[in-house]
This record gives sequence, C-alpha cells and structure tokens, in this order.
Amino acid sequence: MLLSGSAFAQESYFYFNWDVNVPLANTSWISSTSSRGAKFGFRKFIGAERKFAAGLDVNWAYFQEYKPTETFQQPNGAITTDYFNDIFQFGLAVSGQYYFPVADRERFFPYAGLGLGASMNAFSTSYNIYTDEESSWGFLARPEAGILVRMGARRRLGLMAAGHYDFSTSKSASYEYDNFSNAGFQLGIMIMQL
Amino acid sequence: MSTKKILKPGALFLLLLWSCQPEPDTLRLLDELVVSTNYDSSVDFAGYSTYSISRDTIGFVSNRNPNDTILVQTSQTDYPRPVLQRVASNLDDLGYTQVEPGENPDWRINVYVVNDYNLFQQVVYPSYYYPSYYGYGYGYGSYYAYPYVNTYASNTGSLVVEILDLKNITPDNKVKVIWSAYMGDVYSTIELVKQSQEAIDQAFIQSPYIHK
Repeated sequence: MLLSGSAFAQESYFYFNWDVNVPLANTSWISSTSSRGAKFGFRKFIGAERKFAAGLDVNWAYFQEYKPTETFQQPNGAITTDYFNDIFQFGLAVSGQYYFPVADRERFFPYAGLGLGASMNAFSTSYNIYTDEESSWGFLARPEAGILVRMGARRRLGLMAAGHYDFSTSKSASYEYDNFSNAGFQLGIMIMQL
Repeated sequence: MSTKKILKPGALFLLLLWSCQPEPDTLRLLDELVVSTNYDSSVDFAGYSTYSISRDTIGFVSNRNPNDTILVQTSQTDYPRPVLQRVASNLDDLGYTQVEPGENPDWRINVYVVNDYNLFQQVVYPSYYYPSYYGYGYGYGSYYAYPYVNTYASNTGSLVVEILDLKNITPDNKVKVIWSAYMGDVYSTIELVKQSQEAIDQAFIQSPYIHK
C-alpha cells in the first residue's frame, strides 16, 4: 500500500509509532505525560553488514494540563480564571543509528542513535473563550535507543520500540521556558526492506 | 478485501487521529467567567461613603450597533436586576451606603455589557478620555487614571462594572474611573445570571482595597 514502493528498493525501513512523552522542563507549567504524540521516519542501512543507518525523523506531541481557578496579581489589579496550558511540539531531525550485533540479524535490530534537527514548540494558555499563544523554533538534539523486530525472516512488517530524550533550544519568555526537553517512549510498526 | 488489509490502515488512521491536537475542555472553561479588575492605586477607597446605581437598567454597547442602548429588566430579560443587586449588595457589605442619584453620591456605579468589542486588547494610559457611554444626566466624560495592558481579546461580550469618582470632578467636568471590573465571556456561559453574580463577588474579593 502507501508504505511500500520504490523507497524500499534498497535496505531500509519506514516506521510509524505512537509516542508517549513526559515533559522535563518548567514542569510547574506542564508536568502531565502526553499520550498524544506520533513519530514516523525513513532510515536507510549503510553497508552490507547493516551496522549503520541514517534517515529522517518527524514527530509531534501535544501536552495539556488543566489549572484550577487562580488569581494573578498585577500592578494595578488582578485576574481570576481557570485555564488550560498547552504545548504543541513538532520536530524534524536527521538521524544516524548504530545497530548492535546479535545472533539473529534477520529479525532483531537493537540500536542506539542520535538525531539532530529543529523543533517548534507552540505554547498556549486557554481561559474561558480566550487564548494567548507564543511559539518558537530551536535546535533539536535527540539521543535514542530501541529495537526493531521483524515478524519473520521473510516478513517486511515488524514492530519497533524505542526510548528517546529530546532537548530543544526553543524558548518562551512569556511562559518561562529557557529550553524545552522531554523523555519519550515510542511503540509501533515498521516496514523493512532487506 | 481481507480483514488484515482493513485493520492495518485502520489502526494507523486511529493512531493518527488520537495523536492530533485536542481542544481544551470547553465546558470546564466556560462554567466561570474570567474576572479582571483594575484600580487607581492613588485612591483611598475608605475616603468615600455613598454610591448610586441603577436599579433595573444596565448599559449595552455593541460595535455592531453604533448607537448605545440599554438593557432593561423586563419579564423577558431577567439579567439587569440580579446583576445590579449583586453589585449593590457587595458594596453594602463593604460598608458603603446606597443613595439616590440626586442625593450627591460619592460614587456612580456604571454597569454595562460590551458586545463584540475588543475591550481586552486595549492599552489604556492615564488621562485617556472617552465619552461616558450613557448620560444619566451627568454631562461628564470619564477617564482612567492608571495604566494597564490587557493582552487578550474579546470579540463577544463582557460585563463591565466601573466606579466613577463623583467626589473629585475635574474643572472641565470629567469624572475619574477609579475601579473597573471586566467579566467575560457573557455570551458563552452555561448559567449566565449565576456566573455573572459569582464573577461580581470575585471582582470584589480580589479587590481588598475597596472597604470603608
């Protein structure tokens, strides 16, 4: 289907994963785990031994947290409201992986890698019908370790699981973020062509 | 088509849907109004004793209709009176005395609804004059004496309560707005009257400097 085609003519794989993330920066603003995230990408093996691969990863995650009614003091007054804090995160990274040698090299592919790219964070606060927003781009660094498991030695379809740590220089003065970081776990399918 | 061929793209589609951006829970946000208050910090609110307020009429300002109008308590519109009574009861509880407009009150309490007006995007500077929205026979303009910035927008509706200082009218017949409360959005409420009354209470709670 749409997952097959000429892109898989060489040794490579495509993946599409569910991505669960925990924010690590400025957790007083949002600390809730996000289960609304996804990550997909294409990676191509380099060399006949399949020790290395390089590719492109795209991800997004949506963080949200409800804050009960609070009064904010201002120089000449105050504002009282309950509100939602939200962060929409979008990342684009070029990545490289090293695949550890294992006995079954047709089915199991444990790996560790690093992705470098850019990420955008859109911060927003919603209260009653009103919304304040601020977004910024930053440099993204993402170490990642995981495993690919093909369903069978002759099967293209397989599973993928990985953990990752994302650090972005994306800032928000209004919401007091000097950078943004999160830890994530991804799980999903991959289609491999060997 | 086999079950597998349906399930695989179906699961992908569901994952894609689930990972999309959810909207904040609107019902949770709309069950109480945002209450924003501003005041002139140079004013000693204990130095005033009396106020006047309309009993069954509030102002209505809409940029859809350039002609200012009013909302009158009728059998069909049960909004002005509960709102006005709640403002008055708060002031009474704080030690102020309600008098008739002709009895030389220290304050005039203005209550009005602003509809589809970018009230919350205004930057208001001291000595910014604007004509009073409705006459009440005073013939005064009014002005804000304190600077403030509201960074959010209202394109729907806000309930506004203002305290006008009639004790210190300027030589050119201007009255100072020494306190104001903006409560919104009154067009997206779940229980309009109840939420408006709660918002009025909150406006006074977060303004502890108003007392005798």
